[in-house]
Amino acid sequence: MSEVLAGCLGVSHRYGDSTVLDAVDLQVSAGELVGLLGANGAGKTTLIRILLGLLVPSSGHVRLFGEAPSRRARGRIGYVPQGLGLYEDLTAAENLEFTRAAFGGRWAVQPAALTVPPDVLAGRLPLGLQRRLAFAAAFAHSPGLYVLDEPTSGVDALARTHLWDVIRGVADSGAGVLVTTHSMEEAEECDRLVMLTAGRLVAEGTAADIIGDSEVVTVACADWPRALAVLENAGLRAALVGRSLRVPGGDLVRVRAALAGTGAIAGLARATLEERFVELTTG
Amino acid sequence: MWAMIVKEFRQMRRDRRTLAMMIVMPVLLLIVFGYAASFDVTSIPVRVVGVHAAEVAGRLPAPFEVTAIASAEDRSDATRALRDGVVPVVVVADADAVTVLLDGSELFTANAARAALARAGAPQVEVLFNPDLRTSAVMVPGLAGMILLFVGTVITSLGVVRERQTGTLEQLAVMPLRPRDVFLGKIAPYFLVAALDLTVVVAAGTLLFGVPFHGSLLVLALGAVLFLFVTLGTGVLISSVSQNQGQAIQLAMMTLLPQVLLSGLIFPLRSMPLGVRWIGYLLPLTYFTQISRGVMLRGAPLTTLWQPFLYLTLLGVAVVTFAMLRFRAFLAPQGARRARRRGVLALAAGSKP
Repeated sequence: MSEVLAGCLGVSHRYGDSTVLDAVDLQVSAGELVGLLGANGAGKTTLIRILLGLLVPSSGHVRLFGEAPSRRARGRIGYVPQGLGLYEDLTAAENLEFTRAAFGGRWAVQPAALTVPPDVLAGRLPLGLQRRLAFAAAFAHSPGLYVLDEPTSGVDALARTHLWDVIRGVADSGAGVLVTTHSMEEAEECDRLVMLTAGRLVAEGTAADIIGDSEVVTVACADWPRALAVLENAGLRAALVGRSLRVPGGDLVRVRAALAGTGAIAGLARATLEERFVELTTG
Repeated sequence: MWAMIVKEFRQMRRDRRTLAMMIVMPVLLLIVFGYAASFDVTSIPVRVVGVHAAEVAGRLPAPFEVTAIASAEDRSDATRALRDGVVPVVVVADADAVTVLLDGSELFTANAARAALARAGAPQVEVLFNPDLRTSAVMVPGLAGMILLFVGTVITSLGVVRERQTGTLEQLAVMPLRPRDVFLGKIAPYFLVAALDLTVVVAAGTLLFGVPFHGSLLVLALGAVLFLFVTLGTGVLISSVSQNQGQAIQLAMMTLLPQVLLSGLIFPLRSMPLGVRWIGYLLPLTYFTQISRGVMLRGAPLTTLWQPFLYLTLLGVAVVTFAMLRFRAFLAPQGARRARRRGVLALAAGSKP
């Protein structure tokens, strides 16, 4: 069994009367790539801050490398925050040099995919290269655990592929990775997913585990705006995929009843991860 | 246009700091300029020494107020009393002559005393430490304090709050750095720049403006170090309660303005009513101005400046400790130790993870 690098047990957090995390369990083991999913405000960033020791939970237990979050434990973490945490008025090389010094001078060989022009100010790099630099800074000291908060947000498809290649590579080499993302395509790259809704853990497992037998109703029709209006009037939410509609929940009878007389053809299909996510997060 | 006005008022109402500043600043300025901003010295403490001290003391007109009569003391004691800042005026009533010695480093008091003595027909008046009563001689030592205040408070608060705004402070919190290392590493460059500024101001003051430097450079440097700790600590404190650079500047200005106006740098503390003067005694620039003028103009040694040094030390310890705690609370949250302890207990009880 792989070593547990980070774990939360029954972690809750409250701001005044508002509960942002409610008895959440989370575990990241060596060599494991864990995706943390949730809509905005679900509590992902709060959970990450608690895991890193930047926030003390109202209740529950947190362990990082077998101990409570501490300066020593954080020394083994590579963190890419949402805001990237780069010094925009330092060059790429100066940013990396500072990170190296802060982590005690250790310096790992950088993957080619993380190469950035060394003499350009970080603030003048395009967003894709800034993300690459933030990655390079996080990877610089060969951490045992990577915490990546929406690491590919705003990055084009090609650059995203390269970054995910690096992420997969470090997990395969034995490091643990905890990554938050809004992209279900990226989430499917993870070994295991943890879904949060309103601070509560609603699903956990592989993408296939989470989708399970969940189905959606597909609606094929010539006039999709009309079909959409009819479905919404019947209290059914639908998403447009290509030129057909997909209704989460798999209630074929209800959809057919709503669409009677419109000429639309309704059938069942296996839900995608995104559809299952919507179903879980919107109840 | 109406939509714009309504929008501005809505934003103004929600920006409570700006709103507070718009209300507090006029009140502050009203108090300062109404009560404190006065160059008129209405009361001048005077020490009378020499064999005829008692006799002369009785004849001194207003605005002089005799605080001590010392018949056994002579001119050298009188000079020492001025140098040590005991009083701004000493009358030396010897057997053969009466001489009034004025402390030229207290410009407005010396001017007021000289005018009053001229009206009374005083025989002999000598101005020590700033014989020509030049404004630049008094302003340059004070200006040094203002520059240290500006670099220490404004620039430091902007530097720290920028880290918060760009998210790099959070990155620092995740790095294996001790909070005190981050704190000291953050303020050290500002400290050095401010020290360089001080050197330039003092050198320019003495070389270009002929400001005397009678005292010990070491004593001035020690005072500057203490003062810088207070101002740098204030800068970090301001940044710890500011979400952006605009808020930091607002708060920094709210700490700068009272110091410039109420520290005795421009308006003499002696001219202010007691109700306003005590504010000046809470401000670090008051004490640094006393130290810089004392050292540069009067050549005052450390032993006679112990009071401003003591107050600066107390202010420094209080401000830096508070700033460190605020800084530490962000980098290593309060309760972390408690949580660690709880984690250890949970582990001991066999809990997961």
